[in-house]
Amino acid sequence: MRNLNKWISLALALMLCVGAASAVAETAAYTEAPMLTDAGVYGDVKDRLPKEPMVEDADYLTIGTYGGELKRSAGGGNWDAGKPIEEGLFRFTTLGSVEPNVAKGYDVNEDATVYTIYLREGMKWSDGAPFTSEDCVWFYNAVCLNKVDSKGVRSCHKDANGDPAVVTKVDDTTFTVTFGTPKYDFIEALTVDLKWHYAPKHIFEELVQDVIDGKDAEALALGKEICGTEFSDVGKMGKEMLYYFWNYPGIPTLNPYVLSTEEGKNSIKGEYYEYVRNPYYWKVDTAGQQLPYIDKIVYTTVSNVDQQLMLLLDGTVDYQTVGMESIQTILESDTRINIYEWFGGDWGNVGTQLHFNLNVDNENLKALFNNADFRQGMSICVDREEFAGLYSDGWLGGGQAAPQPGALGYSEEWAAKWTEYDVEKAKSLFESAGLVMGTNGFFTFADGSEFVLNIVSVADNGAADTYKILEPYFRAAGIKCTFKDSDRSNIDNDLMSNAVEAMLYPVTGIGDISIILKPNSMVPGYATNVAWYGTMNETTATGDLLKLIELKKELDVTSDPEKRTEIALQMLKLHEENMWTLAYVEASPTYHAVNARIQNFLADGVWSDIYRDMGIAHCQCWYIAE
Amino acid sequence: MLKYIGKRLLLFIPTLIIISFVIFFIIQLPPGDYVTSYVAAMSAEGEIFTAEDVAYLRQQFGLDDPWFVQYFNWVKGIVTRGDFGYSFEYGRDVWSVIMDRLYLTLAVSFIILVFQYGVSLPIGIYCANHQYSAGDYVLSFLGFIGTATPNFLLAIIIMYYIYIKTGNVYLGLFSTEMLQNGMRWEYVPEFLGRCLIPLIVIGTSGTCGIIRTVRAQMLDEQARQYTLTARAKGCSEATITYKYCLRAALNPVVSGMSGSLRTIFSGSTVSAIVMNLAIQGPVLLTALKSQDMYLAGTIVLIQAVLVVVGTLLSDIALAWLDPRIRFSERG
Repeated sequence: MRNLNKWISLALALMLCVGAASAVAETAAYTEAPMLTDAGVYGDVKDRLPKEPMVEDADYLTIGTYGGELKRSAGGGNWDAGKPIEEGLFRFTTLGSVEPNVAKGYDVNEDATVYTIYLREGMKWSDGAPFTSEDCVWFYNAVCLNKVDSKGVRSCHKDANGDPAVVTKVDDTTFTVTFGTPKYDFIEALTVDLKWHYAPKHIFEELVQDVIDGKDAEALALGKEICGTEFSDVGKMGKEMLYYFWNYPGIPTLNPYVLSTEEGKNSIKGEYYEYVRNPYYWKVDTAGQQLPYIDKIVYTTVSNVDQQLMLLLDGTVDYQTVGMESIQTILESDTRINIYEWFGGDWGNVGTQLHFNLNVDNENLKALFNNADFRQGMSICVDREEFAGLYSDGWLGGGQAAPQPGALGYSEEWAAKWTEYDVEKAKSLFESAGLVMGTNGFFTFADGSEFVLNIVSVADNGAADTYKILEPYFRAAGIKCTFKDSDRSNIDNDLMSNAVEAMLYPVTGIGDISIILKPNSMVPGYATNVAWYGTMNETTATGDLLKLIELKKELDVTSDPEKRTEIALQMLKLHEENMWTLAYVEASPTYHAVNARIQNFLADGVWSDIYRDMGIAHCQCWYIAE
Repeated sequence: MLKYIGKRLLLFIPTLIIISFVIFFIIQLPPGDYVTSYVAAMSAEGEIFTAEDVAYLRQQFGLDDPWFVQYFNWVKGIVTRGDFGYSFEYGRDVWSVIMDRLYLTLAVSFIILVFQYGVSLPIGIYCANHQYSAGDYVLSFLGFIGTATPNFLLAIIIMYYIYIKTGNVYLGLFSTEMLQNGMRWEYVPEFLGRCLIPLIVIGTSGTCGIIRTVRAQMLDEQARQYTLTARAKGCSEATITYKYCLRAALNPVVSGMSGSLRTIFSGSTVSAIVMNLAIQGPVLLTALKSQDMYLAGTIVLIQAVLVVVGTLLSDIALAWLDPRIRFSERG
């Protein structure tokens, strides 16, 4: 079996290399955006592109034209502007496989302990400086190993013993990553965990050395010189400049767009900011036109997310993900906006997911929430089809918190588990869970104390309306509930301090496209805002929940693909058996509202953090047809 | 008078110490701190934090000290270096964040204040001089509508109708083009149009109170003996109204202006969010939500200072305006 893995890895590497080679543009004549030619300062486009530029040649793409601006709105977030333009060494395709991106390809030795990564010759940073393997090797050895970016060595760089890999330069376009034990999933793990694996050494070398040497004042002064921002301390500066680097002007990147350095347009905390074309971008279309097509992405900051829809409708914004409830408004409006549906990995509709705090302080509640009969009762006391009809205005059907068809672990049985509507059975399940029917028609605890299910959610996400539809079902089954929605930050704080009992429409929903690649949302305590289960290291969990946590720890240090799949399936099985999270409506797709003037938008995408959300739509290939 | 002002100024010090202490204490009250908000928000965006990461962040932001130590360090920074601390949310010093929006906030708030008094005073006087006339009823009704309708609702209604009529939402004071290219003469008409919405929405909210106060006070003064005497001595109605009655009627209006300094500094909050105005109010709200305590603390502290200063100024203005107050002070 181990031999089979080796052959699979080698075959994959070969395919990637061959793919990369065939992706090289056959045309020798490259063209560039008129704005670059007009500027007259960048020289010949051929000299700015690598010897073998990457060719964006997906089937759905058409040859575009240059110019215009992509208008977006934002709340000043980090990733909202970052993910769409992010460029990792490798990237995911829409089919879920990994392909070379910044890297040209890679080789792996027989026992998957040494990976040799090949870069593109002649590639340049957005400031025109050469991009070489030195930038990748230095980033790992200086930045990651010394935790200058606050993140340190990611799990993709750790072997089965938790020891960090050794990263060594071979030549300007080649470097190796060596592990102490086999690391079969390195490329995929790298694409999920770290992605970029580089930083501009020519900009940061002195600063990072100052940080390592403890010369904080000098480092802070250099930081201000580079991006004009005065940081309070080197820890904060390291994270902002080397991790959230796209958020700061003056830091060269390999992205298609870089934050403007012009005053009034260069702060993501400002009212307005721009990401402008990278003149040294290293991708071309099949006609040899240097990408991106659109000159810049402009952001107008809004103070409330509801305003994004208004700006979309009046044409101030070209692109926005929108909720199901906004579709009707958009379709009825007089504007030309196309709606695209993307598949996601949620387990049931996140808006109807109900999470119980299995680690709640109250002992009565804790025992109840950990009792499967109670959770089953809470699941079957709701008439899903009726509820789904009311909830989604007929758009969606009933559902359960389970993997979607096509995803690992999907089964019809799981998808239908605890979905039959039976109030009487629910009541008997509540009794077998230790509740006692009181004289007022509501269940109490066995010790006679009142049982009230206090549900909370984040304000403005529609959970209050969802609760209004859901509550009568719970009441009819003898469950007295309360609901409170409050500001996101309050909920976050309550979650962190274990002050939440149950949550409708969780802050982080359960489910992702691949539990093998990113099992975080499935594992209690791993994603920080589900800390109510207890943290990974000091968990108070017992039984199956403890098993789930142990499996996650095992998954962290396992790289054998078959073994990983096996562990993932065991974790999924535990979820299926226990149903720690319930959902009442089927999963909703992610809806993209795109102004019709935008061309080359990916119609059938998958929305996932692993795929960098909108990033997989490759906005460098979008163009504007007026 | 100077002694009185000096005494009031000395009282500032203990007042501000108590206020700053209470502010800091209240900001600390909710469970969690900035790091919990930050970590939770980043986790929702797909980032993963370990317990070590969280501890590191807390240490980095100085949040692992007890709150009173944090308070002491903050006050020490203000007194010794004029340093109001560091905004976690914005990643830079608090004062620069405040200064970013200060001028626009002052401009918007001042224009609104001028609008409020410029509209309300003449209406109040007119309504008093034409009590129970059609004009009195109509203008009072409009004033009541402005006060009775929540600002944010009025903003939404106006923006909705503007969108229906023009196809544009007119969010914010500046269009994308203005932000891109800076202010140009050709943008002035649109800018003024954009100013009109907040002017009406926020401005009308305070007009009714002033109109009713002036009207009631004017009617009171008009019924007094000195008015009758002045009229009997042949003074013109204009002299009676503007020289005598209005001067006395302005007392409560001037007292009410003590809070205006604070309003001018922070501007409206909820309406500013609805209309996407880049003024100070939304910054305070965001800071409070994310427990960006030095930023929130500084804004509230400045507001408190302005309330204290505003009260003193209005007292001085009253003494200047009303001889009776000056005489009672001397006596």
